[in-house]
Amino acid sequence: MRFQDAAPDGRAIVYAHVQADPLVLRLAELLADASPAQRVLARAVMNGESADAATWRSMVPACFPDERSEAILAASLAVAARGDQVRDQSRGAVVEALTERLLRRRSDAVRRERRILFDGVRAEIHPYDVTVEVDGRAEAYDCKWGARGISADVLHQLDDARAGAAAEDEPLAVALVVFDSHLACRVRLDRQTAPHDETGLVTIESMDSLAGGPSRGPAR
Amino acid sequence: MSETVETVVDRALAALDALGLLGEDVEDEWTYVTDLVAAQRSRLEAIAAARSTEQVPPERASAVELAIAETAAIVDPHRAIDWLSTYPDIVALALDEPIGAGWRAGELDAGG
Repeated sequence: MRFQDAAPDGRAIVYAHVQADPLVLRLAELLADASPAQRVLARAVMNGESADAATWRSMVPACFPDERSEAILAASLAVAARGDQVRDQSRGAVVEALTERLLRRRSDAVRRERRILFDGVRAEIHPYDVTVEVDGRAEAYDCKWGARGISADVLHQLDDARAGAAAEDEPLAVALVVFDSHLACRVRLDRQTAPHDETGLVTIESMDSLAGGPSRGPAR
Repeated sequence: MSETVETVVDRALAALDALGLLGEDVEDEWTYVTDLVAAQRSRLEAIAAARSTEQVPPERASAVELAIAETAAIVDPHRAIDWLSTYPDIVALALDEPIGAGWRAGELDAGG
């Protein structure tokens, strides 16, 4: 098993600009030290229609007054104010950047947009969003803004990598990171027939587990 | 005048159902939407059942009203589906309930 940078195709070049957006990076930084309630606030604002900060303060009183909540609210409103397509890209990039930051708290071997290659096996075209490339305990993560991003293709890609690694006697922990509620992910996964018993699931409630070790639990 | 948890949740449930109806416009997601609405409905009903006659402070009832108003402002069915998973957490937070129904710390790292 070996890791390789993804080929810089047109989509990747455009998306790299989104990933490097200072607003995306700032929000990821704020969310890395946020409470689960503050992360729910961020998701709600970036999903919502209201552009008025006072409305959100009153709607989520559990988060206010608080300096970090204010910063998260301001950054989330800025993302929400973008056009639908850019907003969707930005939100996805935030989840990836947040995942990277949390993983870096326990490893220096964190990489983005990497392919995983196995001898004699045709490589997946799409790279894995975030990887931890440590010999003997590598990890691969696919990041999603919402539970709707969980699809058969995504589950197959993760499980194929795990199975490919296992065939080479290399352990590879694979997991979905979904910036959405565990309940929504569970409802989504319950209807999926693609293999996911050995795919970990990290949700908006459990993001901090990324900083503590690989998520090996099944996506349930 | 303060309201009970039951009456506040009843209004939240009506908004949840309306949001679900909008989300059902995305035909490919019909099953997911109906399953998610059912799961979220059970969750909110459990809160109401456990605390039915408890009084909700006015500012917390207002928070739920704002969340309900937010659901009413949504016209895009795709956004409605996104909001279906988050709106009940906003209601839960307003009622001083933990977020993350069905999730318990440590559950997902227990090893598979």
